[in-house]
Amino acid sequence: MLSFLAFSVRRAAQGFWRNRVMSLAATVTMVLMLVLLSGLVLVLSGLEAGLQFVESKVEVQAFLNDGVAPERVARLQEQVAALPEVATVTHTSKEEALADWRAQQEAQGRPDLTGLTGTNPIPASLNVKLKDPRQYGQVVEILKAPKGVVAEVLETQRVVDALVAITGVLRTVGLGVMLMVALTVLFIVVNTIRMAVMARADEIEIMRLVGASDAFIRWPFVLEGLLVGLLGSLVTLGILAVAAPAISQLGSTVLREIPVGFDQRLGEQLVLLVVGAGALLGGLGATISVRSYLIK
Amino acid sequence: MPSRGRLTDAPVASVPAVAEPYVTFSHLRASLRPRAGALEAVAPAPSALTPDRPADPALARPGADATIPDLRHAAIALHDVTKVYPNGKRALIEVDLVVPEGDFIFLVGPSGAGKSTLIKLLIRDELATTGTVLVAGRDLARLRRRHVPHLRREIGIIFQDFKLLPSKTVHENVGFALEVTGTPRREVGPAVERALALVGLSAQAEQRPNQLSGGEQQRTAIARAMVHGPRIIIADEPTGNLDPLISWEIIQLLLRINELGTTVLMATHNAEVVTALRKRVVALEEGRIVRDEVGGYHRQY
Repeated sequence: MLSFLAFSVRRAAQGFWRNRVMSLAATVTMVLMLVLLSGLVLVLSGLEAGLQFVESKVEVQAFLNDGVAPERVARLQEQVAALPEVATVTHTSKEEALADWRAQQEAQGRPDLTGLTGTNPIPASLNVKLKDPRQYGQVVEILKAPKGVVAEVLETQRVVDALVAITGVLRTVGLGVMLMVALTVLFIVVNTIRMAVMARADEIEIMRLVGASDAFIRWPFVLEGLLVGLLGSLVTLGILAVAAPAISQLGSTVLREIPVGFDQRLGEQLVLLVVGAGALLGGLGATISVRSYLIK
Repeated sequence: MPSRGRLTDAPVASVPAVAEPYVTFSHLRASLRPRAGALEAVAPAPSALTPDRPADPALARPGADATIPDLRHAAIALHDVTKVYPNGKRALIEVDLVVPEGDFIFLVGPSGAGKSTLIKLLIRDELATTGTVLVAGRDLARLRRRHVPHLRREIGIIFQDFKLLPSKTVHENVGFALEVTGTPRREVGPAVERALALVGLSAQAEQRPNQLSGGEQQRTAIARAMVHGPRIIIADEPTGNLDPLISWEIIQLLLRINELGTTVLMATHNAEVVTALRKRVVALEEGRIVRDEVGGYHRQY
């Protein structure tokens, strides 16, 4: 068993080195694919996090006209709160809304321009939280019913639905692209290993004749494929590690104050995914290449 | 190496120098019938032998079936073997052949007569379309795929073109056969030295094939074939690339290996050698055995 391992590892390394131009080409292609895969995972998980963030917030927000009598607002609030599909209704005054806005701008390092106007441009609002985010019932109609109270109803759920649609399209297109790139990588690995196999065709023939088992014939090449895959995933992880801060920055810029980026869990998943995909493609490619040389 | 002990301990079939015909077909049929019947009892369609069919370990293990002494001691036994290739070419037709353990036989016949196909069947590189092939006590149609390497370690095979690896030394070439079959490293060296001593190449152990003469290269190949201590040596035109004098050296070496107890089957066109040696000659023509008797090449192919 030990001599088998030593034999296989030695021959795999030999094979990789003898055919190094092709092996490196395969490794680079592997890296490109794995970077693409990681990018897709990052974008999707960012969108996912954004979705959850948005969903966790208020589902329906009704911006109120300025100067509406507080009793009318309170009555409307009671009406909406009485609806069976509504969990809570809170009122945000103009002053609170302005404070929130300023805090948000400051968090993103933007200058506070609201101080330049003499008045407060931010409207007060009624914030409705639904029991089930997808069950609106009559909330929107009731909010719009009294004349002159509500200026505009912002249905966050509509935004969420749009986000879900975008994420779905991105996921489908991304998976399609990934599949094509993965196939390309597979072909390149198959080709690389096949060249290594052909360089050893005489040896393989002798091995078969003297009674070498399939394992002795197959594993050196499978290990060579795994070497390509693992080397590719290591380089990819290196690239990701270097790029991680920039990606986090980009993520928070694009998605505003939504907290996404390289958290611990995402990092671990990504490492597993990259190494797993690399090893799988490398090993599979090699297995395909060497198949026809085994015992019939 | 235990197999070396086996070569001397096992009852080697006594081989009369001259006996004609060597093994009669009636004798062959009589000895094969019980086994053929046993096969049918397990699987009703012996004509559709496939490697995927589960093997009966009692039949696959040498010497397990005590009721058939003739075949247990036979190194090679073919019964009613026909090989049809996927392209429809019938390479072997109804071939019957029994080679007792310790025998030395020549396989002659023109190119395309089926010699190569027969050798491929013996090492289970191909499977017979119909009929039974027994090698070293194993029914090859029922031999599991993963047991094929074990069969091949019982057979040493030698070719016209030597099939040595140019980048390896003589010692490494011979050791390669052990290395790739999982032999522990410390056992490889002594076994290789024994094999090289057998063929008289101990002094050339560190040379590479391109530094050797043709005869020395073939002796290296023989050492590689012998290093597992095989029961059977199959030589496919071993003297085809060698001049007459060197050819005789190789033949002498094969004869000595045979005297030590290994069965030798040699396919050849070398009429001079075949005629001079008075050994059993099996002649193939268009896929059929047309002659099976001792001595004489008889026809110029």
